[in-house]
Amino acid sequence: MFIFIKKKQILKLISPLHSLSAFPFAIAIIDLNFHIKDYSEIWIEEFPFPKNGTEISLKNLNILSEKLIKCINDVASNHVISYKKIEIKSKNNNWYSWNIAKAIDEEGNISGIILSAENITYQKREIQLLNNAVQVAQIGSWELDLLSNKLYWSSITKYIHDLTDDFIPSLEQGINFYKPGKHREKIAKLVNNAITSGKPWDTELIIITAKNVEKWVRAKGEVEFVNGKCIRVFGTFQDINKQKLKDLKYNEVTNRLKIATKTARIGIWEYNYENKHLFWSNEMFSLYNIDKQKFNGHSSFWNQSLHPDDKEFCSKKIEECLAKKEDFEIEFRIIVPNGKIRHIKSVACVELDSSENNIVKLVGANWDISELIHSKLQLSKTEESLQQAFENSSVGMALISLEGNWINVNSSLCNSVGYSKEEMIQTKITNITHPDDLSKDTEFLKQMHLGEISNYTVNKRFYHKNGSIITANLTVTTVKKVSGHLSHFIAQLIDISPMIAAENKTKSLLEITKNQNNSLLNFAHIVSHNLRSHATNLLMLTNFIKDETDPNEKAHLEVMLQNASESLNETVHHLNDVVHISTNAEENLRSVNLFNSVKRVKKNISAILEENNAKCVINIPKNLKIKAVPAYLDSILLNLFTNSVKYKSEKRDLVIELNFKIKNDDVILYFLDNGQGIDLERHQNKIFGMYKTFHQHKDAKGIGLFITKNQIEAMNGSITVESIVDKETLFILTFKKAEQIKN
Amino acid sequence: MSFVDNTCIIDDDPICVFGLKRTLKEADFSKNIIAYTNGLEAINGFKTLLNQGEKLPSIVFLDINMPIMDGWDFLEDFVKIPNVNRDYVHIYILSSSVDSRDIIKAKEISAVSNYFIKPVTKLDLHKVIAELSTQ
Repeated sequence: MFIFIKKKQILKLISPLHSLSAFPFAIAIIDLNFHIKDYSEIWIEEFPFPKNGTEISLKNLNILSEKLIKCINDVASNHVISYKKIEIKSKNNNWYSWNIAKAIDEEGNISGIILSAENITYQKREIQLLNNAVQVAQIGSWELDLLSNKLYWSSITKYIHDLTDDFIPSLEQGINFYKPGKHREKIAKLVNNAITSGKPWDTELIIITAKNVEKWVRAKGEVEFVNGKCIRVFGTFQDINKQKLKDLKYNEVTNRLKIATKTARIGIWEYNYENKHLFWSNEMFSLYNIDKQKFNGHSSFWNQSLHPDDKEFCSKKIEECLAKKEDFEIEFRIIVPNGKIRHIKSVACVELDSSENNIVKLVGANWDISELIHSKLQLSKTEESLQQAFENSSVGMALISLEGNWINVNSSLCNSVGYSKEEMIQTKITNITHPDDLSKDTEFLKQMHLGEISNYTVNKRFYHKNGSIITANLTVTTVKKVSGHLSHFIAQLIDISPMIAAENKTKSLLEITKNQNNSLLNFAHIVSHNLRSHATNLLMLTNFIKDETDPNEKAHLEVMLQNASESLNETVHHLNDVVHISTNAEENLRSVNLFNSVKRVKKNISAILEENNAKCVINIPKNLKIKAVPAYLDSILLNLFTNSVKYKSEKRDLVIELNFKIKNDDVILYFLDNGQGIDLERHQNKIFGMYKTFHQHKDAKGIGLFITKNQIEAMNGSITVESIVDKETLFILTFKKAEQIKN
Repeated sequence: MSFVDNTCIIDDDPICVFGLKRTLKEADFSKNIIAYTNGLEAINGFKTLLNQGEKLPSIVFLDINMPIMDGWDFLEDFVKIPNVNRDYVHIYILSSSVDSRDIIKAKEISAVSNYFIKPVTKLDLHKVIAELSTQ
């Protein structure tokens, strides 16, 4: 309680008594030097003086604080302010309410300062406590006087509504703070109900505060009836927003968890270590296929479902973990009542007491991993069979990284290219690819990266370790990651070199067959013509002889018959030569030194060459080797040399020039002379035919070039001719180069 | 009296020429017979005849297979000789070949009147006479 005394009253009191001692409160007068001039008895009770000396200064008391000194000085020095009131906490933790006023003497001068103090410590603490309590609980109160229709809100209630203390609510306003809709309807209903039937309420609702913030509140209300009539409604109002939101959140999480465990079919169990009670969630029962009614809460319950083979290791493992007080994870099988086996994964947490020494309970989760286990088994089976297929396939197979490195190769592939698996993995696919084929599948790879195609097949050539070329049918398939991006490639290589070789062999056989067929046809024609012409002559001549009577003419006919027989014989010999060429040339091919052959033939006809004053220029390297049948080669060269001599120009000395060229696997021999030449425009088609001569020479028989052509073709070569009449003839002969290894 | 004045044989086989000449004589086919051993010789001979203002033989027996210039080439060159009344010259191909390709080829050439397989018999010559008489 504070007693307010006006300045004039104090002055009146002071004057007659000249003493303050009787004042019923703590009061003192000090001079401007803070010496206490007078004081009341209560003052001395409140602020006991030290018992030494007469001059007592305010400064000696522990009540004087800086704040108080400032106030005293303010009042003493300021002409305008003559009075001040202040609440100060003293050094001994007491609260005082100070009144400070000027003391004026009769002349009107300031003679000192009047101080009065009231100890307000108790009140201060009360307020503090209340404030604290209110602050902590956030409980406000309200009251509705139905007689005056006035609504009273405590400051906390206002505070909860985000209102200032001076707000005066009306009944309507009060209701309107509730959130429109079900909250507002509910409070209105509850209040109405209470007023009519006297029923109290206690509910949780949302209000929208003056600052437009949604807040959960707990509203309680009661009614007071007098003579059956409600006169007053009152209650409390509490901010439960934080708690409520927490609760809601908690409920939400719990609910979610409930749904999650239910839909994920995760069974939750809890084993109380102290009372040995086992708890199973509903999901546990469906997981173990056990009727909930049969559950006895005994710890052995779980054991009954356990697969006999897993019992031992399960209990061992659990014991181990419990001994170490560790959480554990375990997989085991159970047998459900219908006899089926389920794979279960269990995760358990150990809960310890506060001393962390004793296990209070075990909490765990069980779920069915049968599918996973089966998938795993299936997967490993598939992987195994794939691996087997990969390794044992007769088709060369490889996994290739996107960069073209071999990731894995099978033995078929290794066999095809002659490298070991280790050697292969060190290298790249491009390193053994024929350079001309490197870009063969670039376009396909691009499309693969774009996802347009997932596989392609091309024929590519690769190098065997020994340097030979392998032609392979390459099929590349993509493998994707889970993300859909390319992971790597699977390549299948089928070595088709043997097939290609076979195909080429077939082709060449076909070609040979075709040529032989042509030769045969040609030969048939020759036989039909040449042999028949002789036969005709013989028939004709014998007919003449038969009819001839003149002995002279008869003798003449007989000579002719003789000649005809000889011609027939000669023709048969020629034909025999031709037949002999084509039959077994292939297997008699050998590596023959061309230079030596030319030299030898030249030497054999050196007499004729000298006789004709012929000059030979031989530009052939001494080590040039060709595939040939030596006898054929000699025959060919001999024929060309003698032809050159036979058909030399009469206008000039014969010059024969031999040149060569190597082109791939072929050796080309150029046989040039400066003789009469051949009119190719006319004879192109017949030059290598049988019995064709184009020169009027006595030795021309028309058999030489025919045999030459047959011989050279039998050795897989060819012969063509170029010529300018009366200038030169150039025979171009192609032979197969002899391989270096064979000799 | 002979059927024609001049007949020409172009063949490199002397026995064949001998035989044909004998047959022609026996049939009294021609007053004169000229023989050439190959196509080139014949072309040159024909040119000489024309230069001397003489008539070409009205019947020519032409062999196919000959050295230097064969029967086909002769035919090619023959049609190129200027101012020759080809209708007047009847060319008969002689061949020992029974190859149908040769026969077909011969019949495709307009200058060729017919194709005979050797040996030419009297019967063949009578056919020629009959053929030419009806024209």
